[in-house]
Amino acid sequence: MIEKGTEYKIPFQVTEEIYDGFIKIFRDKNPLHTDDNFAKEKGFTSKVMQGNILNGFLSYFIGECLPLKNVIIFSQEIKYSLPVYLNDNLELIAVVEDWFQSVKMVVFKFHFLNQHNKKIAKGKISIGII
Amino acid sequence: MEISQILADVNIIFKDIMDNDDFEVNESSTAGDEWDSLTNIELVAAIEKHFNIRVTSAEIASWANVGDMLQSIKSKTDK
Repeated sequence: MIEKGTEYKIPFQVTEEIYDGFIKIFRDKNPLHTDDNFAKEKGFTSKVMQGNILNGFLSYFIGECLPLKNVIIFSQEIKYSLPVYLNDNLELIAVVEDWFQSVKMVVFKFHFLNQHNKKIAKGKISIGII
Repeated sequence: MEISQILADVNIIFKDIMDNDDFEVNESSTAGDEWDSLTNIELVAAIEKHFNIRVTSAEIASWANVGDMLQSIKSKTDK
């Protein structure tokens, strides 16, 4: 069921609903995320989406997109390289980098691309099969 | 590969995963008291990767202490 090299591609859009929901739940209203003028003064095109929205997408990927549901995240690391803006269309590309059958641990290497085919973030997630 | 060298390599892995430069194991060290089950999973995965070997869940279950694990690593790396 798990094979080294298996690739998953999952599309996401940073919708108004996701953005509003993130602010409502986590209360990160930093002006970089809520004030277009502030963001422009800092050199961005418009308000920048909270980086941890991507972690929500990763949670969905692990929890809902794998061929098994008995999974738990052990560790996760992410490095952001470009900003994400409201309504950006993203694609998560995750590859099984390692599969340790003895301890039922899978390591995914992943990156996100935006609609301009630019890499906006990359990282690794280790999960356990419980 | 000599057991002493395997132990030295294993201790580097332990220090990294435990995030503790003072942490050291010896052949009589055991999981449970000194590190938890999640750490144990990370350790085994790191050891498999470092030594480029694969172990089975049955082998892991048979290890009573670090010494048993070192012997298992030695038998696979000597092949």
